[in-house]
Amino acid sequence: MNLDYQTEGARVSTIHHAVRREHAEPEAGDEPVRFVWLLIGAALLIAGGGVLGTYSGGFSQDQTYAFAYYSGAGPRPPGANGDDGSAKGPWIDVWMAEGKKVYGNCVACHQAGGSGMAGQFPPLVGSEYVDGGTKRLAAILHKGLMGPITVGGQSFNTPNLMPAWNTLSDEKLAQVATYIRRSFGKLPEGESGVVTTEMMKSAREEFSGLPSPLPTSELAKLDPAAHLPGDQVDLETGDSIGAVPADGEEKKVP
Amino acid sequence: MSSTSPGASPQDMQERAAIDRSVRFPVMFFFTSAAAWLFAATILGMVAALKLRVPTLWDACPWLSFGRIFPAHMDALIYGWAMQAGLGIMIWMMARLTRVGLRNATYIIVLGHIWNFGVALGVLAVWSGFGNSRTWLDFPSMLWPMLAATYVLIVVTILVMFRVRRDGPVFISEEYLVAAAVWFPWVYITANLVLGAKGSAVMSAGVTVWYMQNLLYFWFIPIAVAIAYYIVPKVVGRPIYSYPLAKFGFWTLAICAGWMGFQRFYGGPFPAWMPAVGGASTIFALIGITAIAANLFYTMQGKFSLMQFSPSLRFSLFGMAMLLLFAVLSALKSFIGISKYLQFNLFELGLDTLAIYGVFSMAAFGAIYFIVPRITGCEWPHGGWIRRHFWFSTYGILTVLVGMFAAGLSQGASLDAWDTPFEVSVKVAKPWIVALVLGWIFIAYSNLGFFWQLALMFVGKGRRSEGPTLMHVAPGEAASAEQAANVAKGTAHA
Repeated sequence: MNLDYQTEGARVSTIHHAVRREHAEPEAGDEPVRFVWLLIGAALLIAGGGVLGTYSGGFSQDQTYAFAYYSGAGPRPPGANGDDGSAKGPWIDVWMAEGKKVYGNCVACHQAGGSGMAGQFPPLVGSEYVDGGTKRLAAILHKGLMGPITVGGQSFNTPNLMPAWNTLSDEKLAQVATYIRRSFGKLPEGESGVVTTEMMKSAREEFSGLPSPLPTSELAKLDPAAHLPGDQVDLETGDSIGAVPADGEEKKVP
Repeated sequence: MSSTSPGASPQDMQERAAIDRSVRFPVMFFFTSAAAWLFAATILGMVAALKLRVPTLWDACPWLSFGRIFPAHMDALIYGWAMQAGLGIMIWMMARLTRVGLRNATYIIVLGHIWNFGVALGVLAVWSGFGNSRTWLDFPSMLWPMLAATYVLIVVTILVMFRVRRDGPVFISEEYLVAAAVWFPWVYITANLVLGAKGSAVMSAGVTVWYMQNLLYFWFIPIAVAIAYYIVPKVVGRPIYSYPLAKFGFWTLAICAGWMGFQRFYGGPFPAWMPAVGGASTIFALIGITAIAANLFYTMQGKFSLMQFSPSLRFSLFGMAMLLLFAVLSALKSFIGISKYLQFNLFELGLDTLAIYGVFSMAAFGAIYFIVPRITGCEWPHGGWIRRHFWFSTYGILTVLVGMFAAGLSQGASLDAWDTPFEVSVKVAKPWIVALVLGWIFIAYSNLGFFWQLALMFVGKGRRSEGPTLMHVAPGEAASAEQAANVAKGTAHA
């Protein structure tokens, strides 16, 4: 096509140097796409697919959190002092439900019903370590356990050791301890079986010097009936109701 | 003629000169008004950063409150500077590549005035407190149809040029320019229409981030890439390494970019698949960006020393290096383990600034350094100013990026600890905001020389010389033996 501007016909000598000295309009070569680029593409596709698979929650419109976004425990214990606590029922139900989730870590050995496996993993039902004081239970959770032990009349001396769970937060440990005691334990009359985060925190400090996994010989040195220090809580609201331990408990608390 | 390109026929030169003449006024109009907006945006950016660091400063004056200054700064930067610079570059480059001149320069200039008027109205409205607090879409809602229509009418000329282009293979830059020309109206109109419908307030936040991410990937990045694909072969005098690889990069970007955005809201109140899809496509888009970077790298191989001299080459390739950095950081941020420390905080500001200034603006400066001597007929006055422009822009953007990374990380860690009061997350980030202040001071300083030089070029007071203004030759002085040799070989072009 012949546009008007093309007929202006500037003489070459009057054209600006910048225009004169430049290279012709660019072109592109035809090197084929190398195999290595397809490999890089494949690697990134896999990485992206991982993101999609892990976080997409099955593409459900109802799924908002498809992952554990918070590194600690939940943003707040649901219902503890949440705005919709009433809708979720009493505090203890929520606490137990959270404990049941944490117990997911334990079911492989101790089984969903807490029965353990004869000869290999001690049961939680009928275990004096669950029924008794919270201090020994907390020590086992924080430090793990190894060595010969007798639980509920059966003796265990297998190479299987219990791993330490101190990588979980105090809150999660408190929830699972509560869940174990209230679900599988035989508690003395009047005792709620609740272990609070505060109690677990004190246990973490108290047992920080003990070896991990804890030899059963060390465990035997702990008072079987001793409880962790800390306030009891109101089961409806989760609020503290002061240090009101179960009957006959105070003399054992140091 | 020692400085004449080997193999360029007089007809070629005449044609190039004629095309340049046909687009001269609209392109210079866009460049100068873009530079004026950049000046305004830089000043507003400094004030905004200062206000973020010292919130009590001038607190009696609502016009200087952060909530007004910061969006005004971002809007001036995007719609005033970046989009106008981009439009100028698009028009010139498309005219050159299609060998079709602009027949009606007045039409573009009139539309350019309307665009400037709309942006000025919008920025003033935001500044006086009538913004609607949607990031990058802060202008009062009656303005967007006008801006969208003006943009469409301007890019129609670019599409017409492409339609009536001279026969021959289509160069990859043309594809990017055509794509950017049509993608922006799609993204802009969609976002505004959805936001205009009375929908869920939560979803309007989602639409806003979708718009932000797509403005970056569908407009800023394509134009920056088009510039690099044009400048590199022009200056180095070689064809682009591989057209298939370039096409591969283009289509990867085209397919992936539209899905992005929601990954800025991991853990937000959206169905989980929305951020997940955004995150995955950000990682997929890295495939395309890697292909672009590789293609340019192979084209440049053995010729990197030219970056020492040619401002166009150095600025546009620096933009591409920043593009790779931006795409890698964005992809890393798509993993929740990393994102939870880097989202909802100042790091996102650092990343956005990297994309707008480090990637797009640097590439645009490269193009402007290339284009303006050709359309004004004189050379840039002073290589030293170009050098300072480059270095202080580099210091500025890297200071902002590193500072905002540190600020974001400390802020993110504090936000992640849910039992820490929110106030703490603000306090821990505060010392790092100094980097934002410093960064914008560097950028302001770096651009002073650019504004001055562009003004001189505009009024025809540039250097009259046969040789280009290179970054390492003082004006009037003889070039070093090496550069003289480069010029003679036709390998060193500004």
